[in-house]
Amino acid sequence: MTAAAPEQALREALHRVGYLADPELATTVWLAGELQRPLLLEGDAGVGKTALAQALARANGATLVRLQCFEGLDMAQAAYEWNYGRQLMAIRLKEAQGGVHEGDVFQREFLLERPLLQAISQDGPCVLLIDEVDRADEAFEAFLLEVLAEYQITVPELGPIRARQIPRVILTSNGTRELSDALRRRCLYHWLDYPTLAREIAIVREAVPEADARLVEDAVQLVQRLRREDLSKIPGIAECLDWVRALHRLHPHALPEDMAVLLGTLGCLLKTREDRFLIDAERLRQIAEGPRQSGVAADMKKAPAL
Amino acid sequence: MALTPATAPTASLAGFAALLRDHGFSVGVSEQQAMLQAALRIGGLRETPLAAAWRAIACHRQRDWRQWPELFERYWHPERLRGTVKVSGQTRPRRDLRQAVNELQQQASGDSAPQAQANSSATAGDAPASDSAQESPRAQGGAGRVEALHNREGQLWLPDELGELQRLARQIHERLRPRPTRRWQTANPGRRLDLRRTLRRSVAWGGEPLAPAWQVRRTERPRLFILVDVSRSMESHAAFFLRVARAFAREADARVYVFHTRLAEVTALMQRDSARVQEKINAVTAGFGGGTRIAACLQAFAASDARAQLQRASRVWVCSDGFDTDEPQALTEALQSLRRRGARIAWFHPTRAAPQAMAFTRARGCIDSCLPLAGLNDLRAAQHHLH
Repeated sequence: MTAAAPEQALREALHRVGYLADPELATTVWLAGELQRPLLLEGDAGVGKTALAQALARANGATLVRLQCFEGLDMAQAAYEWNYGRQLMAIRLKEAQGGVHEGDVFQREFLLERPLLQAISQDGPCVLLIDEVDRADEAFEAFLLEVLAEYQITVPELGPIRARQIPRVILTSNGTRELSDALRRRCLYHWLDYPTLAREIAIVREAVPEADARLVEDAVQLVQRLRREDLSKIPGIAECLDWVRALHRLHPHALPEDMAVLLGTLGCLLKTREDRFLIDAERLRQIAEGPRQSGVAADMKKAPAL
Repeated sequence: MALTPATAPTASLAGFAALLRDHGFSVGVSEQQAMLQAALRIGGLRETPLAAAWRAIACHRQRDWRQWPELFERYWHPERLRGTVKVSGQTRPRRDLRQAVNELQQQASGDSAPQAQANSSATAGDAPASDSAQESPRAQGGAGRVEALHNREGQLWLPDELGELQRLARQIHERLRPRPTRRWQTANPGRRLDLRRTLRRSVAWGGEPLAPAWQVRRTERPRLFILVDVSRSMESHAAFFLRVARAFAREADARVYVFHTRLAEVTALMQRDSARVQEKINAVTAGFGGGTRIAACLQAFAASDARAQLQRASRVWVCSDGFDTDEPQALTEALQSLRRRGARIAWFHPTRAAPQAMAFTRARGCIDSCLPLAGLNDLRAAQHHLH
């Protein structure tokens, strides 16, 4: 069984750098590497999509190249651009030396490498994170197809530039726009949901080891219940970590009984005015008190193994 | 094409792929090849990672992701399913995932793997209905599909009517007023000079702005969500509403959901251009016929299914007779929840008069438009209220 579970080895490697992946996610990430396919991660904001790419890079000792997508992103910002200033300077120099040819200025050294070209130009292992791809335009998706399918970028003046080493590509999306079928079919897919109670407690303990165990359990349980409320912005894992850190500094052992004090720290979790308005002291008390009857242990039993 | 008959494991995999396609998955040749590769690498003895790997390959969106566990169990472990009714007397074919994958590995080591892969591709891509239909649990005499097709009232459409419906859907979509956003996008010609990009481009010509970049204000058409009630009380109207929803799915890129006591998205099926698909949708939904929990379904819709895409000026069209078994107040709360996200709600009812159900009358204030829809004339009349 030593060679039987490479995905388990990857899971442990991710754990060592502080990312707790469930077995299914670890299998998907391992398979993406084996099949040399990009991995499309979808899920709400704050569930750990970007963190996975960062952890994967750390675990593999790879360079992380990040392309943050936004509306209006084009090839010049994502892939490459000619360094016109250097080209002009080179033309002047060549003219002074006698003559200039087209090939003198259209060379690789005159290319400004943007993240996509950087990623496929790496000699060592590389993780390419294409973050929030749903924010980019459809036209950019079409451009990505060549990069993701062939791991090459075609520069008209130079021809195709192929990857020296196939990078591990992770695309993330919050699902604010439907991605094209063509892009989806080139990728492996994983829907990343909010973690179970047991897993989130483990994540928080890993990230904030100095926090009291009871405080962590109570806080995470309350966050999990808050996620069932009709909030416009559901608190993610990062918010939960911020909140536990804040609580740890204020009240090191357990959640404060005084709801006014607790409300004062909710700015770490609730990020819109509507949500703050919705969760007043009375509602917060109901959320905090009601489910306590079920207990952490009961929920832990129901939750799948880590 | 001279192909040797598919071997048992690849036929099983092709049958599984056909089942997935029947449920709206995009599983083609490349996906099956990737599934084969994953099976060869992982092996059949470790079913959990194999299922996870196949899930990552076959699923392309959240809807697929949610459907996967049920479909995987139904195909590879039918014996674990409870409450399945078998009426034909046919024995269910036994499938053993471990055995299938082991045989695949033996084939691969015996240098016959490429042939097996070719067989699987051909079987899956070219004739999904032949072998897979026999193996599909639904072809074993399951209740829903066959019975539903006996009643074809409301499903027979003349080509002229279909053309008219598509045209109306297009017109209504065009009338949905695009919403200007604060963002500008590059366009040629445009209204505003993109100074930054123009200057950047000018560097290529030694500082001369020979290729100015222009921008226009970006507009977005409202996103359209159609929720069709397919409970028993809507049995005779659901087929018509689904036909209308399908027209909007194709013309307006609408996302379509059906609901009774729970909610399911059927957009992928709606966008396929095949008469059989419509029959399949009707048959699937006819099988639902039961109670209705409109409020619970709308809450699920707002909280999870359309959570990320439901935003200001989204349009939510509910096609229902308004009979709800949830608490009357729950419907109002569910609609208010949708409105809080900025959605505008239209309610289409199959009767001339507005529904008199208590839940509906209480929630009437949360609905922007309440319109009768029992035929194309009604849809034609409704277009003036839907901009």
